[in-house]
Amino acid sequence: MDPLVYVLDFIVLVGIFSIFSLSLNIEFGFAGLANFGKVAFVLIGAYTYTLLSNINVPFYVCLIAGATASAIIGFLVSLPTLKLREDYLAIVVLAFGEILKVIVKSEDWIAGGVWGIPVYPAISVTGSSARLDMVINIALVYFCLFISFFLLQLLANSPYGRVMRAIREDEVAAEALGKNRAKYRAQVFALGSAIAGLGGGLYAQYLQFIDPYMFAPMLTFTIWIMVLLGGPGNNWGALLGAGLVQLFDRGANIVKDYLTLPIDPSNLQYIIYGILIILVLLYRPQGLLKESQVKTKAMESIFNGRGFAKNRRG
Amino acid sequence: MVNWAQVFVNSGITGSLYLIGAVGLTLTYGLSKFPNFAHAEFITLGAFFGYIVAEPLGLGLPPSLVVAFLATGLVGLLCYRVIFQPLSKKGATIIHLMVASIALGLVLRYSIGAIWGWEPLYFKTSWPSFDIGMIRITGLWIWLIFVAITLAIIMHLILVHTKIGKAIRATNSNPELALASGINIDRVILVTWFIGAGLAAVAGIFRAANTQIWPMTGWDIILPIFAVAILGGIGNFYGSIVAAFIIGLAENLGVVALMALGLSTSYRIAIAFIILILTLIIRPEGLAMLFRRS
Repeated sequence: MDPLVYVLDFIVLVGIFSIFSLSLNIEFGFAGLANFGKVAFVLIGAYTYTLLSNINVPFYVCLIAGATASAIIGFLVSLPTLKLREDYLAIVVLAFGEILKVIVKSEDWIAGGVWGIPVYPAISVTGSSARLDMVINIALVYFCLFISFFLLQLLANSPYGRVMRAIREDEVAAEALGKNRAKYRAQVFALGSAIAGLGGGLYAQYLQFIDPYMFAPMLTFTIWIMVLLGGPGNNWGALLGAGLVQLFDRGANIVKDYLTLPIDPSNLQYIIYGILIILVLLYRPQGLLKESQVKTKAMESIFNGRGFAKNRRG
Repeated sequence: MVNWAQVFVNSGITGSLYLIGAVGLTLTYGLSKFPNFAHAEFITLGAFFGYIVAEPLGLGLPPSLVVAFLATGLVGLLCYRVIFQPLSKKGATIIHLMVASIALGLVLRYSIGAIWGWEPLYFKTSWPSFDIGMIRITGLWIWLIFVAITLAIIMHLILVHTKIGKAIRATNSNPELALASGINIDRVILVTWFIGAGLAAVAGIFRAANTQIWPMTGWDIILPIFAVAILGGIGNFYGSIVAAFIIGLAENLGVVALMALGLSTSYRIAIAFIILILTLIIRPEGLAMLFRRS
């Protein structure tokens, strides 16, 4: 394989997974929502994209439609659990992901059932090389990533972001201040699902193929590892986590090809993931990067005035 | 023509399986205050322990149930002691505990995959089947119903009459008060994890003997088991008995309906999901209120 294409492929996947981990970070890192069914919303985005692009809808409409469908369904699924404890949401969305997989598996007419279906690339240039296709994908994915990241950074530092964190830290206190917990949770969950749906569309058009097995619960937990490792509540951490886990994935693939281990490396990889999560939770629950502090004009002027801005913000 | 008598018997069988599988989940959920997603892997692990005793060693069903109960119970106890207890002591949130349980599930599932492989295995023992009127029932199912009834009676006796049972109920309803009354909460929770994981193993053996055994055996039935725990009221043993049979009945009636409508029977897991959602909308506390003493 062309080494340059290999590197470019890695860059595209880091971009797509960064979008996924950003979408979980807004839910879990900022708002304290345990989305154990992230894969369901990636699936909705991917299948919406595929079905629409197969009837020749322009790719940007397909991507937006995927994000919208994901947001609406995310909103509806989260509704019954919004006023309950966090664990109910976790169980419901995990179950929802499984059900969705059963549906796309059993209904052949949706998108080929278990056999999957080919997907057209978003932008195809006639007579282009593999390298050019990769560059086009990088441009598209990183454009979407940049927009998502920019929006989420704005949101995290806005009054809305402060309310999200307040609800995560102390629901009762936030309610006492007149903040409607259920309303904020529903909005954040819809936003997170929309971004996941966008990522799902990008994923489908990049791989140019989808089948139900791509959307196993393992994908959800890969995204969780990215967020936990990078640092929940920090958007830069979500990017770092996505990069590190993809790097590890590549490493594991190389090991698979060149080394013979007593344990099958595809099993070993997930055993290591599991142990890694437990160790992170036990010894560094804040992840590699600490939660980013809220940036506001007032805070900045206070710190600059006293002259220890750098030390305090660290 | 639907054989309704058979549908009801099948409901009882499904319900028995879910009851055995859900008791451990609901008790640990109630006491440790988080849903243990690795419960699925306790079921799988138990199935494999049972398989080894029953098939390669050829000792039959009853010894395999006992060995799997003890071995998996020990694994459950160790998991709690090594992972969840330190996390709780460090003040981990409920989400952290849930994520840790999923991570533990990954470790167990892929370790099982590494040891026994991902190809499905089958119990080779063939069970005699009996025809009683219009009903057909196999020896395995008689064992399953017998074990479920025995379990219900033993658990009831333990919860009502023994010191540890009273301690479990006290800790479940009010941990601070239990602690203040001199109950060693840590020990109570450890014992509950032992019993819970052990019972998961028993459910795993029956599920595996009835279908197949592979690293996803537990994951295949974890959804209805969660539905039983929530419908029954988390931590409520009596509620879970009723809930297990409601969901068993709903699934078997649902399969009849699915076949009548010409839909895939793989949608049967959606039935437990619908019940789960309805419970959360209508009565998030589950059936627990029915069993509270006035």
